[in-house]
Amino acid sequence: MPTFKLDDREIPFEPGDTIIRAAHRVGIDIPHYCWHPGLSVAANCRMCLVEVEPPPGRPALMLDVLAWDAERGEYVPQKKPKLQPACQLTAADGMVVKSQTSEHVKRARSAVQELLLLNHPVDCPICDQAGECRLQDYWLEHQAHKKRMRDEPVHKPKAVVFGPTIVYDAERCIVCTRCVRVSAELAKDPVLSVRERGNLNEIVVAPGRQLDHKYSLMTEYVCPVGALTAVDFRFKARVWFLRSARTICVGCATGCNSFTDFDPRSQKVFRYRPRENLAVNKYWMCDDGMLDYRRIHENRVLEGRVGGEPTSRDAAITKAAELLTGADPDSVAVLLSAEHSQEDNAALLWLGREVLGASAVYATGRPEGEGDDVLRHVDKNPNQVGLFELVAPGAPGSFTDFVKAVQSGRVRTVVALGSQIPEPDAEAVLASIPVLIALSTHVGPLSTRAKVVLPASSWAEADGTFVNAKGLSQESEQAIRPQGESRPAWRLVADLARALGQAPTWKRTDDVRSTFNGSNASAAMAPSAGVSG
Amino acid sequence: MSDSTLPLGPRKIVGKPVPRPKRGPGVQTYLPEIAKGLAITMRHFFRNTKEMALGQRNDPSLEAIEDGVNTVSYPEQRRPYPYRFRGVHRLTHREDGSPRCVACLCCSTACPSQCIYIEAGEYPEGDPRRGYERFPKRFVIDELRCVFCGFCVEACPCDAIRMDTGMHAAPYDSRDQFIYERDLLMGFPGRDGTYTTQNPRHEPGDPTHPGIDRDHPH
Repeated sequence: MPTFKLDDREIPFEPGDTIIRAAHRVGIDIPHYCWHPGLSVAANCRMCLVEVEPPPGRPALMLDVLAWDAERGEYVPQKKPKLQPACQLTAADGMVVKSQTSEHVKRARSAVQELLLLNHPVDCPICDQAGECRLQDYWLEHQAHKKRMRDEPVHKPKAVVFGPTIVYDAERCIVCTRCVRVSAELAKDPVLSVRERGNLNEIVVAPGRQLDHKYSLMTEYVCPVGALTAVDFRFKARVWFLRSARTICVGCATGCNSFTDFDPRSQKVFRYRPRENLAVNKYWMCDDGMLDYRRIHENRVLEGRVGGEPTSRDAAITKAAELLTGADPDSVAVLLSAEHSQEDNAALLWLGREVLGASAVYATGRPEGEGDDVLRHVDKNPNQVGLFELVAPGAPGSFTDFVKAVQSGRVRTVVALGSQIPEPDAEAVLASIPVLIALSTHVGPLSTRAKVVLPASSWAEADGTFVNAKGLSQESEQAIRPQGESRPAWRLVADLARALGQAPTWKRTDDVRSTFNGSNASAAMAPSAGVSG
Repeated sequence: MSDSTLPLGPRKIVGKPVPRPKRGPGVQTYLPEIAKGLAITMRHFFRNTKEMALGQRNDPSLEAIEDGVNTVSYPEQRRPYPYRFRGVHRLTHREDGSPRCVACLCCSTACPSQCIYIEAGEYPEGDPRRGYERFPKRFVIDELRCVFCGFCVEACPCDAIRMDTGMHAAPYDSRDQFIYERDLLMGFPGRDGTYTTQNPRHEPGDPTHPGIDRDHPH
């Protein structure tokens, strides 16, 4: 593999790589604003300037500059090398690049940083980006002195509503055009562009349009400063209070890798952020997924229910065990849910087969929705493929089969996971099931029609494995503690089995995990590169 | 001898034996010692009474004002607090009487005793600060928990919280009375009697703000 030298370190690169990409790959961060690994190169922020030594035997390209000589009290002519943007410069074998070791580069970065902050309002206290802002980080790292301009900074529009999800502040903007490129390249909807020039330029939405494509929150995510803020997250929390868990988005079958940001003091989830995984979602997530965190706190089932009346979890489990005792194995069916993790489904499958002796296994989940060819999948369940892997050999019966089995009277006792059903019209059929026990996270058709409801924890409250549409098994970490009386569904299954007089052999998540496909357990969490870009 | 060369086992203790007092009726009944102690107390009592009566001694209340260590008859008489004394917090006002605070949570982040609780709110529709700034819907300080370190004042970027009231926390008879809410904190004036502070930043709505017109950005 060819290499070039960056600050006395040999960096391997693939032909066609730029300096910054090759350095990024080995974990060296050359400071940058406008470059993003998932976007085209703009080279307009000038933060990534590096000094490139000329090929042997060739003179360096030097510029004539005037430098202030304090002793003589005048400007004197000097020469300095022409610096090059590392984000645009293609690496060549044997190239010698100086980044941190070059005095010229240090001075250039400090000057660029001062220029970018020249008209910045420095309103960090009221800015939602504070704490994760490139301007703050790079000021400390590369400038660390006050700006010399004493004029009133240029004032530009603030709190401009770009669309239903995004608010723009032109004063904070450094016009790196990352948001413009996300709209054009990721969402294929070039709705943003740059207006005016110099210190008056700002991002504008196309006339007559709104920033309303399905990846609008990615414009906020790539914004390195606080210019674009999400309506959803604005003024909600200070980011330094939040902690992140590495999770999987359960909004659809794509299984995007995400960070779940939550406040450990209030045990409340505030947002999702995309987590880099080049095999699944690259650097991105869709708006539906980004806002899906709200379901963690909305419409939840947080206590047991018997006959529609709220009761304690233990009482509900006792009642469920009572209903299941002595049920005819031929009339019992388990309804797995593609909404839930492999752990939950494996536990329920074990309960159905080993404890209740049922052979009828069906699957439920959320109805299909809208999809596109970027990330969004029509299947809105995170674990559809996983169910087939669990039940194999064979396959779980479809929900239509389940409805038929209920109508024919073959199935009279059902233990169901989840709260949603793929066919909303079939809700009346659920009411006709003599014994329906549901382990539900949310209020939905299953939990409202069930005789006994056990409160199950959501994906954010338990470790779980999800198999996406491509068959990739991914682990999701627990973020917050189980809310209310809820417990992970596999624990509820264990309690139910104990109440039926047959304790399971597993006690921890790892035990459950080892019961299903051993090869899946080795499909460890996808490597995360932390904050991308 | 260094530690490593010490022999193993218990060390010998080197010390000087002190003789214990001999036990007898006088020691065992404590009576002579009690009488001795009472005698000292009475000696001071009579000496003080004599000096007070004859005017041979300074008035303690006058003495309290002088420098040096002396006695202050506290509730009636108070020592002047130094200029930079950190007293009970106050929240400063803008010119229009609204809180200067923008609910940035810098103070509660800096607070080592975690005694500041802030709930941020957005200005109502039509307000010039709407969509741009927020304000504290609730601003609560637990004065019982506070260690009066002054970090919140240092951290505040808006000069919204100060400890220049010159008051110390009053003693109350229940803990909930130490929970100071926003309106109470805004009700305390500084030692100079004022409520407002100057903020060099030009905010939308302020007369000093140059305006954010798209055609006249300057």
